[in-house]
Amino acid sequence: NCSYQLSSVPLQILIYVNGIYYIFYFLVTLAMIVYKSQVFSYPDDFLAPDLVLLFIMAVLEVPRSYLGSKGNLTEEEAPLGLSLVITVGSVVLSVYFLVWQTYVLKADVIINAVLLFTYGLEAVLKVMAIAAFVS
Amino acid sequence: PPEIRTAAQAPPLRGPAPITDVAKLCVCDLLVAQCDVNCCCDPDCSADDFSLFTTCSVPIVTGDSRLCSQKAALYSLDVEANPPERIFKLIDQVNPSVFCIHATNYKEALSFRSPEMPTSENFDQLLERFGSAAFSAEPDSWDENRDAQNPSDANETYRYEYGVPIQTEDGFLRLPSPVISSWCSDANPAGFLVNQATKCTRSVSVEKCGSVQGVSMLFYTNSSILAVNITVQSVVLQSLNGTQTFLGDRDVLRLPMAVGELCINIVLGVSYHVTYTDAGEITEAAVSFVLGAVNRAALSIQQSFEISFAQINTKPVPLSGNPGYVVGLPVRAGFRPHGYPFPVENFLAAFVLNTNKYNQLTILQSPSNQDCLAAQGPRTPVLFGYNMISGCKLRITAGMKCQPLSQTLLDLLKGQSFPEYVASFGNSQAQDVLDWVPITHLRISEQRISNAFQSSCQIPVSLEIEVKWTKYGSLVNPQARIVNVTATITTTTLEQLPSGRERTVPVTSSVVFTDVSSPAEPGYKAWPTINVKLPFDFFFPFV
Repeated sequence: NCSYQLSSVPLQILIYVNGIYYIFYFLVTLAMIVYKSQVFSYPDDFLAPDLVLLFIMAVLEVPRSYLGSKGNLTEEEAPLGLSLVITVGSVVLSVYFLVWQTYVLKADVIINAVLLFTYGLEAVLKVMAIAAFVS
Repeated sequence: PPEIRTAAQAPPLRGPAPITDVAKLCVCDLLVAQCDVNCCCDPDCSADDFSLFTTCSVPIVTGDSRLCSQKAALYSLDVEANPPERIFKLIDQVNPSVFCIHATNYKEALSFRSPEMPTSENFDQLLERFGSAAFSAEPDSWDENRDAQNPSDANETYRYEYGVPIQTEDGFLRLPSPVISSWCSDANPAGFLVNQATKCTRSVSVEKCGSVQGVSMLFYTNSSILAVNITVQSVVLQSLNGTQTFLGDRDVLRLPMAVGELCINIVLGVSYHVTYTDAGEITEAAVSFVLGAVNRAALSIQQSFEISFAQINTKPVPLSGNPGYVVGLPVRAGFRPHGYPFPVENFLAAFVLNTNKYNQLTILQSPSNQDCLAAQGPRTPVLFGYNMISGCKLRITAGMKCQPLSQTLLDLLKGQSFPEYVASFGNSQAQDVLDWVPITHLRISEQRISNAFQSSCQIPVSLEIEVKWTKYGSLVNPQARIVNVTATITTTTLEQLPSGRERTVPVTSSVVFTDVSSPAEPGYKAWPTINVKLPFDFFFPFV
């Protein structure tokens, strides 16, 4: 990094890649829930929470990426911090889809594991960026 | 039968428990306690049976194949080996698809849920959920511990119905009985509440003394009826010439052994006595043995087996039909103990039943020498539906006094304890007062007493019991019910004889059963009518 630029390039790349990956994740998870409801016994009492949480996760992703990107580019720690907080929420939801979903298929395990990995990496880079901005 | 198997594996309130151990699951094991042909997973088959199979009808037993990793039991026959043997392997089967189920958080995802058994506590709630014309199949989702709501019994109890084979730890309680020929077959299961007595022949010899299973005490006592152990109640030793001695120590297990020329402690008779509660649970089982000995010349022995059931805390009273009388069974009778207050509603356990059937309604049994005064022997019980007549001859001599003679004859005809009431049904209980019919007594004099002032005493010469019965119940299965019992004593005057002369008077007693059933009336449905009414102002302008 140049001394006058504190924005983290890897973080920006990761946020961009994460955004694309999340779109893929959302579509695949939604398609698999539809598949599960057709193939397995999936009563409404169990289907509704899974769908609702998926949409909440999608809704959370938008401000998370935006705030992360904005905070990184404007070198402000407040949006980055907020984005970090939202990331924690997204991590919890991802763990739900990994462990506490009604039916956890092998594909669910794979894509949630990848998502958790990118979230983790993003969180580390955000913390480093905040540390760089604050100091 | 699946009901018994589930009853043995789970408390009856919860219903069947899911079997998830693939090593124990076998869909081709249809015959209980017997080997199914070509069923490689049948636990009842021995290695000899496997060597006779040609193929395995069930080669693999797995759980749901959509799971990512699951246990599978593989059964195959190794035909190369001599003799052919069964190979059993337990492997982990992996589903390669990326859409295999890794985990589920939904209990009913892969197996059916055990249905809730209705009890008095949850009946209202179940009626609310399922009582309407349509209901949702989904469960209350967050109520995972549904089984915890049902009170689980601490000791599991097993309820039986009539005729159901009594289950033991390994199969059924067997009562050996003859099948086709008179040889004993050990495969006859004892049914609940079915009193049986069988006799069959078993081949035994002194050489095979200890090896024949069916003559050893251990064979009949080592299986326990699930929660209940079979206890030995009594052991009787029968010697070769037939004398029986009762043995005091019943805890000692006497196994057959060869002693010199004899083989002793061979089981000759087994008598099971099972106690049950009125809910259908077996609480006790006791067995009594008759042990004997065989010598070298004997090739077979005859064994007798019986099983009887008694309800707990009751004294068994033999029934004469259930509910209607069965032809040939004794007519039940009894007394009302004196001292009971007269109002009918205070009758409680009002009747003392004569449990000894020779004290029930009985008639005189004809003595062998036809002499009435010598006839004080046993009396014949009155059997339902059998008209009987018996009698004797009375020799009247000159000096006989009338009054004692009349009393003696009355005792002779009626017996020591002539009952007052007769049961109207074969299974009438002592506490149901209305089920008992009083015996009406009539006295008829044979000769018309022309002279009312003649103080002659009458001696009874005939007792006729007329039992009127009717058919009761449905047309296809009518039950016999006694409605009236009349005991008629016919008396005659005792003439004073000149000395030296004697006269013989016949004395008879008889029982007659008369059918007084009214004919069955068929009932027909009414013809359908057309119910048409004109409106009352149909003819308006004119009416």
